[in-house]
Amino acid sequence: MQLVLSWPVRLLIVGILLFSLFVDGAGYIYRIANHYSLTGNVPGLPPNFGGWQLYFHKGLDLAGGTHIDYQLTNFPPGQSKATVQQRTISVISKRVNSLGVSEPEIRGAGANNDRITVDLAGVTADQAQKVIGAVNKLVYTKWVADTKVTGGPEPGYKPAFTGLTGDDISSATAAIDQSGLGWVVNIVFTSRGADLFSNLTTANVAACPGDPNTVVTANCAQRHLTIWLDLTQKDIDTWEDTTYVSKVSQNYDTGCLATAKPDTVCPKLLVDAVTLQAITGGNAVISGGGNGFTQSAAQDLATGINAGSLPVDLQVLSVQQVGSTLGAQSVKLSIAAGILGLSIVVLFMIIYYRVPGLLASLALLFYAGAVFAVFKVVPVTLTLAGITGFILSVGMAVDANVLIFERFKEEVRAGRTIPAAVDAAVRRAWPAIRDSNMSTFITCLILGFVGPGPIKGFAVTLGIGVVFSLISSIVVTHNLLAIVMAGSTFRRAALMGVDRVRST
Amino acid sequence: MSDQPEDVKAGRLRTESPDADEEEEDLEEEEQPGAAAHEELIEAAVAPTPPAPRPVRKIDFVSRRNWYFAFSLLIIIPGIFFMAHSGFKLGIDFAGGTEFTVTFTSQPNQAQVESAVAAENVGGSVITTGGGGYIIRTAVLTPAQQKVFEDDLRAKLGNYQLQQVLSVGGTIAGETIQLALLSVVIAALAILTLLTFRFRNVPGGWRAGFQFGGSALAALLHDVFLLTGVFAILGQGFGLKIGEINSLFVTAVLTVVGFSVHDTIVVFDRIRENLRVSQRLSFEQVVNLSIMQTAARSIITSFTVVLVLVAILVAGGATLQGFALALLIGIVSGTYSSIFNAAPLLVVWRRLQPLR
Repeated sequence: MQLVLSWPVRLLIVGILLFSLFVDGAGYIYRIANHYSLTGNVPGLPPNFGGWQLYFHKGLDLAGGTHIDYQLTNFPPGQSKATVQQRTISVISKRVNSLGVSEPEIRGAGANNDRITVDLAGVTADQAQKVIGAVNKLVYTKWVADTKVTGGPEPGYKPAFTGLTGDDISSATAAIDQSGLGWVVNIVFTSRGADLFSNLTTANVAACPGDPNTVVTANCAQRHLTIWLDLTQKDIDTWEDTTYVSKVSQNYDTGCLATAKPDTVCPKLLVDAVTLQAITGGNAVISGGGNGFTQSAAQDLATGINAGSLPVDLQVLSVQQVGSTLGAQSVKLSIAAGILGLSIVVLFMIIYYRVPGLLASLALLFYAGAVFAVFKVVPVTLTLAGITGFILSVGMAVDANVLIFERFKEEVRAGRTIPAAVDAAVRRAWPAIRDSNMSTFITCLILGFVGPGPIKGFAVTLGIGVVFSLISSIVVTHNLLAIVMAGSTFRRAALMGVDRVRST
Repeated sequence: MSDQPEDVKAGRLRTESPDADEEEEDLEEEEQPGAAAHEELIEAAVAPTPPAPRPVRKIDFVSRRNWYFAFSLLIIIPGIFFMAHSGFKLGIDFAGGTEFTVTFTSQPNQAQVESAVAAENVGGSVITTGGGGYIIRTAVLTPAQQKVFEDDLRAKLGNYQLQQVLSVGGTIAGETIQLALLSVVIAALAILTLLTFRFRNVPGGWRAGFQFGGSALAALLHDVFLLTGVFAILGQGFGLKIGEINSLFVTAVLTVVGFSVHDTIVVFDRIRENLRVSQRLSFEQVVNLSIMQTAARSIITSFTVVLVLVAILVAGGATLQGFALALLIGIVSGTYSSIFNAAPLLVVWRRLQPLR
């Protein structure tokens, strides 16, 4: 126990305390530093400290939103399931981004990499499923002259279907180009696609020969191939309408496409690229011109091309949609339960154990502060089950203190001096505290690895709570007791919650 | 042990305290004996003759153990009967299906909602939660069917607030149950192993450790069966919504397991310590002394938790009430089992398989 009372340990505790105060109060520190008022909405929250966004991450049952479990079926042959799962996740992410959800969570699951779970805050199940499950058809068009067309990417020309679609592409990937300067997108066609593409590019080059990079006339509209999502014959027929065309020719929006009503006009353009030479091998490269694409632009484009067809079929296993009112109500209830619980415990401890109880309450506040900081920093996504885990760990932190104090009373009654009683109480209570917390912690580990989804959240918060409750009850309470009892002011029986105290 | 006499003295004197104010139920009157009663308890036990009837009550947990076991069985056996006979009322995440939690602005009565749901032909059941709130459960609906259902409901019964929709397919429901059961079983085995290891250094060695671990496991199973049994009775026997078994209920069971094991370990730890320092007492006396020394702490800890839970039960919303009730039953059971079952069971086991 000498170690617990040593200065390095005390410094460590003060360090944890300061760090927790900083993390917990991050919002207020930000407000004060930027001269904002302490309440109400201010811009820039939650604050960003060196890449850390410090705030509580609320699970769907608290934030409101939609959770969907998908089963992936119809895996394409010849690719590892993990790769296909990753690709599907990136396609879904891309589609979900168009919904403007903050922090969408899309995770792989399943022992065989054949599941994906999606958590979207503030979105109904209907919207989410439309966007995620949407089948966008990717089409290649060439350009044919039409003098009535005045707008769009190629004025004087309107697009025409080529028969080449997303079905003819086997993959699109972003990669660094050979010069190493910029990013490009590599497209691999199926054999049917390779033939079509070869014919198209040959015809393109024949339409206006030369090197388009140097010869101006070589960069004619007929030499362009353009990729669209869901472009229809109706769109092409309306190409003379300039407002319509300028809308359609903007960068594609899968969210709009997924939820579009018959008369909505959605942006559909994926990429409009000039053909540099006839490509006969079935492998095409789209480069950004100049120094190429940035990494994110290339990845977006590759995902967009892949998004035309999800590599697998998605089958819905379960859907949970929580209304934001219910979520807000749950948050209120949890906070109320937490505050109520803490106050009952603090009141009880102070009334029943007097000065030691007060010190334990301080230790308990330290504990709550530290655990909240950990939740923010890790970050731990808080759910109803997770909050239960936390409240339970409060109970366990109190339990350790009660064990020590009951022992303390015994030791005092047995005639020990107060400092000796403190020491003996902590020492004698330790085995029970150690074993009980160890059993809880082991249970948490098992639940964290084996348990079903909601129970994992419970295990994580309880596990973190148990570790900090040990620190709080053994280290903090003991130190506070030792410091306060070093003076003689508090060594009175009434303040100790015992009948009588030995004077020396 | 240089401080041995002091410890024994501490142990006896401990029960002088007026802690009993905090006790509940039948403990209340029994926990307020004067110091003399305990002196006599120990003296009497040392003497071979049975003690004469005394004017003061004393706590003798160990010799009344059969009453305590009987009391537990009185609740557990009907519970097991219900579990075996009619099973549980399953929550949506275990049963599979689609569940809508809605609040209608127009506050229609249950019959109106039921007829509207019946017209949809999706095999629905309707539960009212008061204030225009209903929980409607149907077979698993696809997103498109769900949309149609929601729109039809709005057309027939007026506008509503959709608070929660849960749609769970059969596969995932089965998996959740399996994982939940598996994690409870593994956790129980891990606790048994840990306690056997931790208590191997009491007199009797590993076998004694196994007795401690096994008794704790039995108390743990007591709580699990009592809690699930009561919920089987509430759910199937009385058909109450609050008796539904879902993931949150499993979380409650695990929480209870955690608390119960804590209580049991505290008693057992005291037994371990007293076995070392009070070698002139018999095993039964040591167990009884240890229970007396730790009962106050167990009850105090549970009491604070119970206060919080009662508050949630009264004030909490429908989603949390079942959960709070489960925790309440479980924590009372956990405290009871560690005081009245785990330690007395250890005595029974010790008698059947003497180690000293």
